[in-house]
Amino acid sequence: MAESGVGKGAFDGIRVADFAWVGVGPLVSKYLADHGAEVIRVESSVRPEPLRRAPPFVDDVPHLDNSGYYADFNSSKRCCSLNMQHRDGVGLAKRLIAKCDVVTESFTPKAMRGWGLTYDDLAEINPSVIMISMPMYGLTGPWSMWQGYGHVLQAAAGISHLTHYPGEEPIGTGVAYTDFLVPHFAAAALIAALDHRERTGEGQNIDFGQLEAAIHATETMALDAAVNGREQEALGARHPAHAPHNTYRCAARGEGDDDRWIAIACTTDAEFAALAEVAGADWARDARFGDAAGRKAHEDALDALISAWTRTQQAEELTGRLQAAGVPAGAVQTPEDLRNDPQLAHRGHFHLLEHPTMGLRAYDGPSFRLSETPGRPSKAAPLLGEDNEHVWKTVAGLTEEEYVEHLISGVFE
Amino acid sequence: MADGDGAGPLAPFRVLDLTGEIGQLAGRMLGDLGADVIKVEPLEGDGARWNPPFQGEEADLEGSLFWWAFNHNKRGTTLDLGSERGRGLFLRLAEAADFLVESFAPGTMDSIGLPREAIAAANPALVHTSITPFGSDGPYAQWRATDLVGVAMGGLASLCGAPGRNPIRPTASQGYAQASAQAVVGTLTAHFHRTRSGKGQHVDQSMQEAVTFTHDNAMPTWDIRGVNIERPGNGRNIGGYASGQYVYETADGWVAALSFGGLFGLTARQTIGWLDRHGMAEDLRSEEWIAKLDATQGALTAPQGEEAEHVNGVLRRFCKAFGSAQLTAEAQQIRNGWGIVHRPKDLLANEHLKARGYWTEIDHGEAGSFAYPGPWAKLSKTPISMRRRAPRLGEHNEEVYGGLLGLTAAEIAALSADGVI
Repeated sequence: MAESGVGKGAFDGIRVADFAWVGVGPLVSKYLADHGAEVIRVESSVRPEPLRRAPPFVDDVPHLDNSGYYADFNSSKRCCSLNMQHRDGVGLAKRLIAKCDVVTESFTPKAMRGWGLTYDDLAEINPSVIMISMPMYGLTGPWSMWQGYGHVLQAAAGISHLTHYPGEEPIGTGVAYTDFLVPHFAAAALIAALDHRERTGEGQNIDFGQLEAAIHATETMALDAAVNGREQEALGARHPAHAPHNTYRCAARGEGDDDRWIAIACTTDAEFAALAEVAGADWARDARFGDAAGRKAHEDALDALISAWTRTQQAEELTGRLQAAGVPAGAVQTPEDLRNDPQLAHRGHFHLLEHPTMGLRAYDGPSFRLSETPGRPSKAAPLLGEDNEHVWKTVAGLTEEEYVEHLISGVFE
Repeated sequence: MADGDGAGPLAPFRVLDLTGEIGQLAGRMLGDLGADVIKVEPLEGDGARWNPPFQGEEADLEGSLFWWAFNHNKRGTTLDLGSERGRGLFLRLAEAADFLVESFAPGTMDSIGLPREAIAAANPALVHTSITPFGSDGPYAQWRATDLVGVAMGGLASLCGAPGRNPIRPTASQGYAQASAQAVVGTLTAHFHRTRSGKGQHVDQSMQEAVTFTHDNAMPTWDIRGVNIERPGNGRNIGGYASGQYVYETADGWVAALSFGGLFGLTARQTIGWLDRHGMAEDLRSEEWIAKLDATQGALTAPQGEEAEHVNGVLRRFCKAFGSAQLTAEAQQIRNGWGIVHRPKDLLANEHLKARGYWTEIDHGEAGSFAYPGPWAKLSKTPISMRRRAPRLGEHNEEVYGGLLGLTAAEIAALSADGVI
């Protein structure tokens, strides 16, 4: 439908009106944008997208066009501004949606209902539109109006129950984890629906409850409860069956950086024997450690022996030696390490893009490589309202007079 | 084109799934979306069939719940790719398929005589997805990784756990989940391009790279502020700014109560009013405390030290006095986005998920019928379905080699006798 996307790629010509905010929604449309779709963020300075107000800020200066948090999630996109509380807000939104293939949103369900912008409303003006709504708990059900962040949803989905030190408080991951998990499920559903439309002409509505997708990442937790009535417990970095399987402290790196760790995960006797050989230790001949069951039974003792050795080793150097010996092992990498990681550099994961106010910044690209239609962040994140003229005149079809009239009315604030 | 047995958007398409534990969710998601997914296993069975836990206490080829969880919505065949006849059959299957998803170590398919080019020559429209620990090439391509190594090398582990203590991982494998789910996005992106162009392509998915984009804002925080975010333990860290306590013990479990910014997050005044209605605000109801907490509204850094500890103590006592469900429902009423730290049995009994018809019974015949996590998206015209249990070893050999490839019963019997299938 669109004449040309911001980038070029698999979704070239697909146009998206992106009403979503914070993590889940923008990360779904980022996939489309990084592969060539024209994704138009619809935002307002009256009720700013929360991530524009969240750190990190360049020079630690909070400003709507200065957040690295927002920027990373919104590469390759355009942005128009629209005050939905203004008397002309909903009407203009509909004019834009009429020219789009996809509408995304992640508010609690009352927002789009209140504006008269549900799927049924949109299908009247754009019968083949695909709309995806991504509230925390879905569009229906007793909790549908509940709000929250990914920090909380990981707890609600059962992930926190399985993410802590054994017997301690259920701290979960240290991030808003589900924000970085469920967008893949939402994008899969959305792209499959787009493909269905491409083949049949039929649009549809997608009710994406974030909780319901997140539960699919709890592995066998729910099934073990349903089949065996068994409640699985968190094991720190350990594994139900394998040992050694943990993170071990390594030698300090340079001065002051004593938070260096290596993950080692032996899944066979041969890998354990190879580990012992690299360590120059006789662990493999110790009767306690003869098989996986023995190593699990004496895991505390085994971990203590390994830790005493790794404490004298550099994490990166040891990773290389263990991998060369066929032992699954890897340094626990920090963000700084990832920026210097030769494998990620080989794959070109980080993309440096120039932003008008933030300068040259690193953006995450897709984690997969397509051989024929590779995606990549093609443009830094948009300024708030940066593309108003293009969106409202060229896309939505406002005349110059209409555009100026609306500008003066304040609907584009 | 396939005749998938689901009503989903991928019902016209067929998938060959040659993945191990790292990638089995990917094939299953395509099956959830309606595709006809054919799992191709070695004759002795896929290694993931021996992943714990099992139904009951005994390890069994057909009883792994890991196998069940990640291989339902698939048919099952066996095939010896080490034999020439096996490779010939594989290429015929590839001709009849729209997707190939595999997780062989890089170079393995070349070494057994099935290089990517040969498969693409057999079916130029095939979307071929490789899911590997570090990617198909590059300096670490031959390195080995389990989920823990992926979560470590991709950086998520550095953000999980408590300061000064060892990094941990979610005990449910997130490296595998991330690699699989992101591979599905790449696969469907390639599929969309094929629908328009008729051309297939290769999708190269790395687990490490998939995990690299699960860090919230830790990467831009390093890029912009030069700060490596520390593992926050029972707290949060947004952009390098540590906030207050995050999970609280209740009368019957735990709640996640995000303090975003200041001590009580963006709704300190409402929160104190809430505690006060239960007579548990203690001295926080004083004008002095309310003014003090208001001053931290939306601040990047939470107050530290004795004052923070005092306020947190009030909240800890409050939470301990009530059940998680009541606390969370009341918090939501004042627009405070708390959540329950659900245990598995809580989720199975959850009224909201019940009202949405989430849990889906899958029939295992004599073994029983069990509740599985249901559709992960509700598509109004082409619904996702959970419709068949994971296959037994070689269960659909005759259906696939006979029905799909048109081999006779005698030919199938010969292949079986010769150890090809």
